[in-house]
Amino acid sequence: MKLSLNWIKDYVKIPDDMDLSRLAYDLTMSTVEVEGAVDLGKKYENVVIGIINEVLPHPNADRLRVCKVDIGTDEAVDIVCGGSNLEVGMRVVVACPGAVVFWHGEGEPVTIKAGKLRGVMSYGMICASSELSLEELFPAKGDHDIMDLSHLDVKAGTPLAKAIGIDDIILEIDNKSMTNRPDLWGHYGIAREIAALYDLPLVEFEKYEPSVSERVDVRILDEEKCPRYIGAKIEGLGIIPSPFEMQSRIWRVGMRPINALVDVTNYVMLALGQPTHVFDSDHIKNHIEIRRASEGEKLVLLNEKELTLTNDDLVIADSEGAVALAGVMGGAKDSVLPTTNSVILEVANFDSKTVRKTALRYDNRTEASSRYEKAIDPERCDLAVSMAMKLFSELFPNMKVTAYEDKYPNKLVKKEIDVELEWLDRRLGKRIPQEVVARKLGTMGYEVTFNESSMHIVVPTWRSTGDVSIKADIMEEVARMYGYENFEATSITAVFDGAVNQLDMDLVRRIKEYLAFRCNMQEIFTYPWMQDNFVNAILPTTEGVLALSTPPAPNEKYIRSTLLPNICRAIVKNEHSFEEFAIFEEAQVFFDCDYTTDYDPIERLPKQRKHLGCAFVGKSDKISDLFRRAKGVIGMMPRYTHMEGFTFKREEKPYWADEVVWTNIYLGEKKIGDMALLSRKAALACGIKVLSPVLVELDMDELIPFKSRTNQFVHIPEHPLNNYDISFLVDSMVKWDEIYSILAEKITDNSLLRDVQFVDEYKGKQIPEGKKSITIRLVIGSSEKTLTGQEIEEVANTAMKKLTKKLGADVRK
Amino acid sequence: MKDKLEALLREGAEKIQSAKNEAELQEIKGYLLGKQGKVTEIMKEIPKLDVSLRPEMGKAVNNVKNLLQEQIEGRREELKMKASEISPDFDYTLPGIEPQIGGLHPITQMCYDLNDAFRSMGFEIFHGPEITSEYFAFDKLNFPPNHPARESMDTYWLEGHDSGEANEKLCLRPHLTGGSVRYMKTHKPPYRFVYPGRVYRNETTDARHERAFFQYEALIVDKDFTYTAGKVMIKSILSKVFGQDVPVRMRAGFFPFVEPGFEIDMGCLVCGGKGCSVCKHVGWIEIMPGGTPHPNVLRAAGVDPDEYTGFYVNIGLDRLVMMRYGVDDVRLFHGTDLKFLGQFR
Repeated sequence: MKLSLNWIKDYVKIPDDMDLSRLAYDLTMSTVEVEGAVDLGKKYENVVIGIINEVLPHPNADRLRVCKVDIGTDEAVDIVCGGSNLEVGMRVVVACPGAVVFWHGEGEPVTIKAGKLRGVMSYGMICASSELSLEELFPAKGDHDIMDLSHLDVKAGTPLAKAIGIDDIILEIDNKSMTNRPDLWGHYGIAREIAALYDLPLVEFEKYEPSVSERVDVRILDEEKCPRYIGAKIEGLGIIPSPFEMQSRIWRVGMRPINALVDVTNYVMLALGQPTHVFDSDHIKNHIEIRRASEGEKLVLLNEKELTLTNDDLVIADSEGAVALAGVMGGAKDSVLPTTNSVILEVANFDSKTVRKTALRYDNRTEASSRYEKAIDPERCDLAVSMAMKLFSELFPNMKVTAYEDKYPNKLVKKEIDVELEWLDRRLGKRIPQEVVARKLGTMGYEVTFNESSMHIVVPTWRSTGDVSIKADIMEEVARMYGYENFEATSITAVFDGAVNQLDMDLVRRIKEYLAFRCNMQEIFTYPWMQDNFVNAILPTTEGVLALSTPPAPNEKYIRSTLLPNICRAIVKNEHSFEEFAIFEEAQVFFDCDYTTDYDPIERLPKQRKHLGCAFVGKSDKISDLFRRAKGVIGMMPRYTHMEGFTFKREEKPYWADEVVWTNIYLGEKKIGDMALLSRKAALACGIKVLSPVLVELDMDELIPFKSRTNQFVHIPEHPLNNYDISFLVDSMVKWDEIYSILAEKITDNSLLRDVQFVDEYKGKQIPEGKKSITIRLVIGSSEKTLTGQEIEEVANTAMKKLTKKLGADVRK
Repeated sequence: MKDKLEALLREGAEKIQSAKNEAELQEIKGYLLGKQGKVTEIMKEIPKLDVSLRPEMGKAVNNVKNLLQEQIEGRREELKMKASEISPDFDYTLPGIEPQIGGLHPITQMCYDLNDAFRSMGFEIFHGPEITSEYFAFDKLNFPPNHPARESMDTYWLEGHDSGEANEKLCLRPHLTGGSVRYMKTHKPPYRFVYPGRVYRNETTDARHERAFFQYEALIVDKDFTYTAGKVMIKSILSKVFGQDVPVRMRAGFFPFVEPGFEIDMGCLVCGGKGCSVCKHVGWIEIMPGGTPHPNVLRAAGVDPDEYTGFYVNIGLDRLVMMRYGVDDVRLFHGTDLKFLGQFR
C-alpha cells in the first residue's frame, strides 16, 4: 500500500523537522514494515516550468521546432522540440540537464544532457506528460502534444513538483505486515499510529447527521453477512472532473482519477480504509436488497467480466436483480454512467470471509475486497459517510440528500479486557509509568481505567473485530509503542537437571555422518510426492499408498511409502554427469494403513516411519563390487554408529530387485530392509539408461542405539599372528557363508586358528567351467608362544582337509 | 716417492669428499684404486727401487691404498644416507590428492550447526509426524476458522481425508508449530526444545518459493521469560552459527500463534549493514518470525498461560543457507543435483 505523507499530515501534525528515515524506521519497528519511500520532489528534480518566448523553425527538420524558453534563468534557453501544440506564451514542462525522463513514454529512464539535435544546440527537453509518467493526471489531447500547464499561475523556473502540488513523499508499506490490522488500510489509521508513537494530537471527524426524513428502501436479507448498510440518495450531482488536488492524491498513492463521483468514493476509501460505492439512482428499481445470489444468477461487473454467481456470494440487488457484487465491485449497468446526476451512495459493512471467498472465486480481488477481507468494523461507516458528504457538498454546491437509511442490525460489541499491573510488569520485564501506558493506549483509542492493582480497558471498535481480545494483546500494544528497543536485554536463566541425552537423535546424526564422511556418499533431499513412472517401477501396487487431493502435478499424486522411486529419479538426474556415485536420503514415509491414535488421542494418523535409502551407482561391469560396497557400508554401520548389528539373509525378494543380486537385511529375527540391484525392467521404466544402481532401503525406526560407545579393549597379542593364504577350486555355486562356517566353527579363544578372511574370488580362463577359485587367509597364532613353521602348517592342513571333505575343494598350493 | 704418496693421499681425500653421489664416487675410486689408477701407478714404481727400500715403500703404498679405501667407503655411507629414493625431477607443486568424501546436505549442515548451538544451551531436539490432522495444523494454533492458509491453495490435503471434522482432515504439515504443541502436551513445563523439519505448501514455485522447505522451530516455556531474553537467545545462536557478532532486531509482526509477535531481522553480513542488493539496501534481512506463544496455544497444550510464558522462533533454514552461501534459487535444495550438493563440505 502506498501512503502520501502530505495526506497523513491532514490528520496528524507531524513536525516539519521530523526526519523521514526516522519515521520509516519507527513505523517499521512498531507497526508496519515500510519497504521504501519515494520523494516525488527528488524524482522530478531538474524538471521546471518554462514559458515559451519564441517558436522558430528548425533549419534541418520539418517536424521539429526551436523554442526560446524562459526557465527562470537570466537568459532564455534554446530547446529543440517536436510537440504539435507549441505556442508562444505557453507554460510547459522543461526537463533540464540531469532530469530523468522516459523517452516518448517508453523503455528505460534516460538522464537529460544538453546537446545538438539535428545540428541545433538544445538545452533540454520540453516534455509530454507520458515522458514524466504523468499521463493519468495530464492526459494528452493529441499524439504529439506536450504538457500544457498554461492554466497555472506560476513563475518560470518553478520546480514541477511544487508547481502542480505533488511535492510529497510516498511511503510504501508491505501489505503482508498489516493483514491483521483492518484499521491501517487508510491514511487515517496510519496517522493514528504516528500520533501514538510521537504523542501528537490526532484530528477528529464530525459525525454526519442526516436532515431528511425520506428513507431509502434498504432490505438486508442476510444480516450475518451484512451487519450494516447505509444508503443515501444524493441529487444535484453530475459528471465533472474532481479538483486537481484530489486527482493528484489518488494518483500519488497508485490509483487512477476518473471523475468527481468515483474519485470521492476512492478518496474516502484511501483516507479511512472504508470502501464506498455509488449507484446511478435512476437505474436502481424500487428498492435495494442485500442478499445471497441465487445459484446461476448472472452479473456483469464494471470491468466487463461476466459472472455466473453461486449461493455463497453476496450481492446488492434492486427489484430486478443483482447490481453489484458486495464488497468486491459494482455492476456495469447501474454504477456511475456518463449521464449520472443523482446517486445512491453505499457505505456498508460486509462479512470478511464472504468477500474474500467471492473475490477469490472469480479471481477478482479489488482495493475494496482486500480491505473488507481484513474485517473492517461497522462503526467506521459513520466516518466514511461524513467525509463523503463533506466532499460532495464542496464539489457540488447544489447537491442535496433526498433520502437516507442506516440499517445496522448487527451491532459491534467493543471488547473489554482487564490487565493486572503486576502481570504486565512481570511480562514486560520492567515497569512502564502508568501515565505513559494511559497516554499511548488513549491515543490509539483505548478507554483505560486504573484500579488498585489492575486496569480495565475498553478496546476501540476498529480493533475489536478480532485483532485485540486478550491481555497479551494489550501488553503488545504497550511494548511496541514504548519501543521494543527501549527494553534492556535480559539474560536467560537456566535450571540444570542433567545433560540432554537423546540416543535416537544422536544415532540418526551418527549414521548420516558415517555415510557422508566415512563412506563417501552424498546426502540428497527429494520431495515426498513421486512421479507415476517411478512408482510403477518400484511398487507392485499403489494399494496402501497415500495420495494428495491437489497434487503439484497430475502424475505426482502419490506420496512416498518408500524412498526408492525418488532416489531413482535422482539417479536419472545425475547418471550422465558421473561414472560412479553413491547417494543417500533420510526421510519420513507414509502408509495408508495401521492408523493410530498414538500421537494424540484426538486424531487418527496413518503409519509414518523414518527410512534410509541408499544408492550405489556405477558401470554394469562393476555390479559385484557395487553390491559388496553396499554390503560393507550397511554391514559396518552398526559397528561405527553404535547400535545393534544387522545380518543379511534371503527371505523375500523385493519386487524391484534383480533375480540374482539381492538380499534382505535383518535385525535379529526382524526384517528391516532390502539391498539389491535394481532389475533391468525397473531401471528401464525409470529411464535409468547408462549406469547400474544397487539400492538399499532401511527402516530407521527399527534401529536400536546403544547407550554409549561399545568399543572393547582387547590385549595386543604378545606372540605373533601368522597369515596363511590358501587358494582352492570349488563349485561356482558354493557361497562364502558355507566356506566360512565350515572353517570358523572351530574358532575359540584358545584355538590356534584365530580368524578366516576372504581375500579374492576368481572365475576365468584358467578355471574349469562351473568352478571358481577362492583365496582365503587363515590367521594362525597362539597366546602362549610363538608357533613354529611346522605347527602353522598343521593348522592350515587341517583346514584344507575340511574344505576338501565338505566341499570337494581342490586346493591349489 | 714418499712425497708422491702424501700428495696422492691429499688429492684423494679432497676428491672423495667432493663426490656428490655414488656414481661420482665410483669414478673417483677407479681413478685412485683402479687397475690403471694412481695407486697402481706408484705400485709399479716399487720394483725400480733399491731392494732395501722396497718393503718399507710397499707398506707405505698399501697403507695409502687402505686409507683411501676407508675414506671411499665412509663417503659412500654418507652419500647413501643423504640420498633420496626418488629422482630429483620430483614435482612437489603437483596438486594434492583430495580425500574422497561425500557430504551432508547443506541444510543438514546448517541444522546440525544450530542443534549444536541450541544443545549447548540445554535444548532438546524433537521430531514429529509429517502427516498431521487439521486439528494440530491449525485449530491448536489459534488460526481462526476462516484463515486463508486453511484452504487447499496453501495446504496439501490427503485424498480421502480432505473433509470432515478438524481431527479427521489430514494434510502434509504446513508448518512445525502444531508439532511443538504435541511436544508440550506430552512434557511438563518448563522446557526448551528445538524442532527441525520439512514442511509443505501448495504453492507455485520460483527461485524464492518452494513446495517443500525446512523450518527450525525453537521454543522455551518457562515462568516469566521476557522477550528481551529471547532476543539474547537469538543473538547468541546466530553469532555461534555465523562465527561473528550478528546484530539482531525485533520489530512488530503478526502471526496467529504468538502474542506479541515479531519479525526478527539479522544485520546483513554481506554488507555489514550498509545496504546492498542482498538485503535490498536496508542493511537488515528478515530471518524469522518469533514471539511469545499465544495463550490459546499454551492452553491447547495444557499449559496455564497465567503461570507460564515463553519464547518461540521459527527459523527458515533454506533462507539461512541461501544467505550463508549466496545460493540464489531455493529449488536447488530438492533438485538432487550432485554438482550443486557436492559444493558443500
